[in-house]
Amino acid sequence: MAKLKKKPLTLNFKKFKDKISKIKPNFETLKNKISKPKPNFKKYIKNISNLKINALRILKQVIKEFRLLWTDKFNLLLAIVIPPLIIVMLGFTMTDAPSETQSIPCMLISYDSNTFINQNNFTESKLDNYTMPYVEAVNKSSMLELVRFYNATEEIYAMEAARNALISGEIKVILSLPVDFTELLEWGLPGLIDCVLDASNIQYIQQSLNSVYDSIKIFVNDNNLTPQFQLQGFEEFTIPEGYSNNFNSSIVMALSFMVFGIALVLSILVIVQEKPIARLLLTPVKRSEILLSKYITYTLVLVLQVALLVISGLSMGLYIAGTLPDLFFALFMIGFSGLTMGFFISSQSKTKTQANQLFLAVFLVAVLLSGIFIPIENMPSYLQVIAYILPLSHGDPLLRGIIQKGQIILGLHFIWLLVISIVLVIISFVIFKRRKYEV
Amino acid sequence: MVEVNNLNVKFGEKHVVNDVSFTVNKGEIIGLFGISGAGKTTIVRVLTCQIEKKHWTGNVMVTGLSPEKKSNHSKILSNIGYVPQLELLNLYFELNPMVNVEVFTSTYGMNKNKAKETAEKLFKILDIPRDTWKKRVEKMSGGEKKRLSMAIGLIHNPDVLFLDEPTTGVDASKRYDILSYLKKLNQKFNTTMFIITHDLEAALICDKVAILKDGRLLEFDTSQNLISSLPSEGLIARFTIEDLNEKLIAFIEKFPFIRRIIRVGNEAIEVLMENFEENLQKLIEYMVDNNIVITSMSKDIATFRRYFQIRIQKEEEKESSLKEVKVIRK
Repeated sequence: MAKLKKKPLTLNFKKFKDKISKIKPNFETLKNKISKPKPNFKKYIKNISNLKINALRILKQVIKEFRLLWTDKFNLLLAIVIPPLIIVMLGFTMTDAPSETQSIPCMLISYDSNTFINQNNFTESKLDNYTMPYVEAVNKSSMLELVRFYNATEEIYAMEAARNALISGEIKVILSLPVDFTELLEWGLPGLIDCVLDASNIQYIQQSLNSVYDSIKIFVNDNNLTPQFQLQGFEEFTIPEGYSNNFNSSIVMALSFMVFGIALVLSILVIVQEKPIARLLLTPVKRSEILLSKYITYTLVLVLQVALLVISGLSMGLYIAGTLPDLFFALFMIGFSGLTMGFFISSQSKTKTQANQLFLAVFLVAVLLSGIFIPIENMPSYLQVIAYILPLSHGDPLLRGIIQKGQIILGLHFIWLLVISIVLVIISFVIFKRRKYEV
Repeated sequence: MVEVNNLNVKFGEKHVVNDVSFTVNKGEIIGLFGISGAGKTTIVRVLTCQIEKKHWTGNVMVTGLSPEKKSNHSKILSNIGYVPQLELLNLYFELNPMVNVEVFTSTYGMNKNKAKETAEKLFKILDIPRDTWKKRVEKMSGGEKKRLSMAIGLIHNPDVLFLDEPTTGVDASKRYDILSYLKKLNQKFNTTMFIITHDLEAALICDKVAILKDGRLLEFDTSQNLISSLPSEGLIARFTIEDLNEKLIAFIEKFPFIRRIIRVGNEAIEVLMENFEENLQKLIEYMVDNNIVITSMSKDIATFRRYFQIRIQKEEEKESSLKEVKVIRK
């Protein structure tokens, strides 16, 4: 077998020495590098004047955008006048102020005159001293309209008749005094009233319960009873007296939809319908400047829109548990996310039709998955992912938190909205930069 | 002012512009002629920094700057003006002409008063009625929009103005007006102009014309020089013949001095031949002797339209004969 010869490892020091000697530091160049560069004032002045020209150019573009906006009065009307107008309309139509027309029609059935057998000592009683005082209290309440009173002892089909009236829509509430109504009050125990509500219209549930509560309040006061009637679940986040319940509960949903939707509508056609952009690009103006000026213009419109919305909301009796600046910035953030989504759609759409179709798809999905109609937790997991990406899913809870619970703006929902908006701004700039324009 | 040397433009495998070279001096009006797909617009797109460098090769200089470098684009775009074919692409129809001027001049960093002054001067030259200056552009007539578009292109007093089909969509009587306005502007401001057009009448105002076909530059010269290069310096005999048909044309073509016959309509032909004055009489005799009934005859100098037709026809014949040779070789 042939043996493998190992080569001895030798180091060529001479070669290394030569190499090292070659790397002599060039002190002259180093000196030049270290010495401070002479300030080039001409260059600075030129840079500053360039910056000034760029800023002026953007300002002029912003003015152009405003002029274009002004020519499209309908769009402007949509953005500025319609939202506060809707708030005012809601304010007028959704008040809780007691009035003849707003009282809830009801029927009262009393079983109080029936024989009551005490389960403890098997004694019988037929006390009904508090029946008529309660009937009077119902009559006194401006929030209830007593359509008919039944004494179930005499009219055994009273409940059936009342149920028919409820089904037909003649009344909204059936009040029923149980057999031990007077007895319990006489013994100093909490009184009991059965209440059957028409739940077909969600809006009436709260109003009906409030009306019943009102009659109880009158009954307790008039008869010097201790207030033993309580409606549970209304202690937390209640709207203080003097504020409209209906208006305040509806406004939260309306605000987020309106600000988001209108910002989206305003911006979806901004890029796709402006044909002279192609020609503008044959001037020294940069693409980024064009898009930036659009963002500035529409952001200013959004600020105005949000300010008007808040003012109209407050003037119509909007109750804010949180602070006004928080509400303002939350609304602005929801609107801005709509704006960025609109710019994103507009920058990547080739035609107006395409932009409109995309708008419809995006808006519908955003609304349906916002969690307002179906709780996000009840959705399939893949839909939950989509829902949490969409701005409205964060806008609605953010607003509810500030308006109803007095939360501060900074939180997960606000951060999400901010992140979504920033991402969309970046994407829209990238798409707009790559968008093909030909003249 | 504009120098193009060995320009080649390729989009993927498609060779759109093939080795085009020409030089344009300050104040010249250049007409770029060619049938659709000839490469006219592509050349202008290279000159106006609209095509990325990866798609083209060659040496191109516009106002002393090369569009090859991205850093030059802003300067080049400051030095040039562009008037697109469609006014829709050049004007904000919702705004008035003065505001349109403001929008575009602001991009060049022009002073507002100076812009207004220049606009008024241009509007007067282009006969844009004063009462339309403050009205929305959409309310202006087609011709007024066209002229306003030209004014916007010139508003910053560019060194070079590119016009894409300036006479398209304008009725025949107004076409000459547009061309004369362009000539007027060129004389007044000494602006170099590039006119991309299908309208061969535009050659009337051009100092030089470029004829393009399939991305190749066939000719680049004055229209007079091109016409003079035709046999007998472009002299043409026009005959109206009874019962004119292809057979008759083929028979006339056999006359030895004939260089080309162009059929004009159903009953007329135009004939180009060598030693025109000497051979015209012989040609008439040849036709009469062979029972061809000539109903009228006239002689004239070829127009640029005719030259263009002949040049393109010649090129097509050359291409088809080359194809035939290739087929035979195969």
